Amino acid sequence: MSNANLIILFSTLSTGLILGAIFALVAAGVTIVYGSIWMPNAANGQFFVLAALFGWTMTVGWGLNPWIAALLVIGVSVPLSYILEILLIRRFYDVPNRNISYFVLSLGITQILAGIYAITYGRWSDQFQLPPLVNGITLIGPFPIANNRLMVLAIAIALLAALFILLRYHRYGRALRAVFQNRDAATLRGVNVKAIYSLSFILGNAVIFAGGVLFALAYSFDLTVAWTMAITAFAIMIIGGPGSVLGALVVGMVFGFTQAIVSIFASPTIAAFSYLGAMLLILLFKPSGVFAR
Amino acid sequence: MTAQPTKDAPRGLAAHWPLAAFTVAAVLVPILLSGNRYLAFVAGMTLLHILWATGMNLLYGYTGLMPLMFAGLAGISAYFVVNLTSMGWSFWLALPVGTLAASIAGTILGLPSLRLKGFYFTLCSLVIQTVITLGFVYFASITNGDTGISQIPPPSIPGGGELTGLGYEIVIAVMAVIGIAVLMLIVRSSFGRRLAAIREDDGLAETLGINVTYQKLAAFFIGSLYAGVGGALYAPYIGFISPRSFDVLISMNIWLMVAFGGRGTIWGPVFGAMLLAPIPFLLQDYYTVKDILYGVLIIAVTILMPGGLASGFKRKAPKAEIAKDAPSRQLDQRSAA
Repeated sequence: MSNANLIILFSTLSTGLILGAIFALVAAGVTIVYGSIWMPNAANGQFFVLAALFGWTMTVGWGLNPWIAALLVIGVSVPLSYILEILLIRRFYDVPNRNISYFVLSLGITQILAGIYAITYGRWSDQFQLPPLVNGITLIGPFPIANNRLMVLAIAIALLAALFILLRYHRYGRALRAVFQNRDAATLRGVNVKAIYSLSFILGNAVIFAGGVLFALAYSFDLTVAWTMAITAFAIMIIGGPGSVLGALVVGMVFGFTQAIVSIFASPTIAAFSYLGAMLLILLFKPSGVFAR
Repeated sequence: MTAQPTKDAPRGLAAHWPLAAFTVAAVLVPILLSGNRYLAFVAGMTLLHILWATGMNLLYGYTGLMPLMFAGLAGISAYFVVNLTSMGWSFWLALPVGTLAASIAGTILGLPSLRLKGFYFTLCSLVIQTVITLGFVYFASITNGDTGISQIPPPSIPGGGELTGLGYEIVIAVMAVIGIAVLMLIVRSSFGRRLAAIREDDGLAETLGINVTYQKLAAFFIGSLYAGVGGALYAPYIGFISPRSFDVLISMNIWLMVAFGGRGTIWGPVFGAMLLAPIPFLLQDYYTVKDILYGVLIIAVTILMPGGLASGFKRKAPKAEIAKDAPSRQLDQRSAA
């Protein structure tokens, strides 16, 4: 293999890892919310872009340090999610078949946020770029990679690991999985279901916001990312099994690599076609997903 | 009016006066507005959306399926018509061909509804809509990609001349009236009652001897006809189409007209379209406000009918006259047989 091919291979690997980790984060956020309150959040892409835009405003607009900005963005998501939960999400907790109501609701939120972005940020610019977290370039053998992207990758993987441990071993994670499996049984065992619902909605959105701000730190972005991300996260959730965080992590990484590889050899549209095709097949033949227990 | 779909239902003039009034209004409004070309155009677009909303109503209101690929089907028809007419076909030949293409596509893409229910079918249709939109962008040799096709020529009239302005609005008005009349016929027929039975409980409908597969696909075929006719008329009327003209937000907006006006009633979606369709044109200068306004309305509709999106009419029993009637009728027929 020639040197040029090796460099392409290496850049594909690094892009695949970063994209995969970010996809996995967002899909985990979506699947936590679906797994607990049964809400298929189609607005996840808009939340993702909202985080990226907040990060842009704080760093480029206010001149904050990108580390502080990233933490602030994730922090801001908590009160925002809580307000949204009180205003809209809470009303549906006891509705049977609420997933379709939530789905339509989140499409409405999507439309509102898309309209707001078009009026505000859309007028200023169509490409947004954040300052890097760290400067410099590391050479891994002969291959250069920006320290900034390595840092983003490290943070994303650390967040994924923390999330996985939280859901697997912490009391909250066990309660969340109990609620997902059987809400009534969980209530009987003393789990405060409504509290778990609020917590999960906030946690899920915080994870999506983290994905958004990390993506913005690693790559420049535009407003059309929102819809692509929404559909991709849905595809990951459906294929991995709605409610399965492990499924979201594994399928998210697979999708990241697919995106990186297909984008080099063909167009990103082909990658999107392949996700959507895979999602349709899973929906039709195994709606519980690959990783469902 | 709790019309029993039986022999004692009001027939003749008494039953048809709303349709007659609508026909007169649909033709008169463009004529009265023809002094102001722009307002007449808004009236024409509203009539087009009434046609679309009526088709969506057949699927969402009467069959209980929420197809978010509805605008995509209209787009298929529109691209067919534009390409065929640019190849030298007459518009009047291209319209049925494009409509048929949309219907066949709609019937095939409706197949997942046989396996998936509620949210899962809606999600599936959202995926299909996204694939259709991506396809419109990707196959740029036919669709000219994101740039879209502009300066679509108006249809020629067989006697000579071109169909533009008021004439075009009258054609759309006639199509909208035909669409509503067809839906009224369907709702009164045993086919319509079978659809309502499927909407309420398709498992029960199956055990009552209704061929759910066949009925659902027939509903998709007919509902897609509305999308197809609307799409075919849309393209030369507005003179410009792009993948954005038929994306998921348009599907959502057509759905909103049905849900806002009242699904499963003939006239509710018509009023929904009358109220909502003109907004983007009248707010031309604040175009993006439309997205926010529609989004707020979508949320309002969802909050006002929390259980209604999935399971139909359990909270609004009085409106479900057909739904209540259908199973009992079917039972009667079976016990009599």
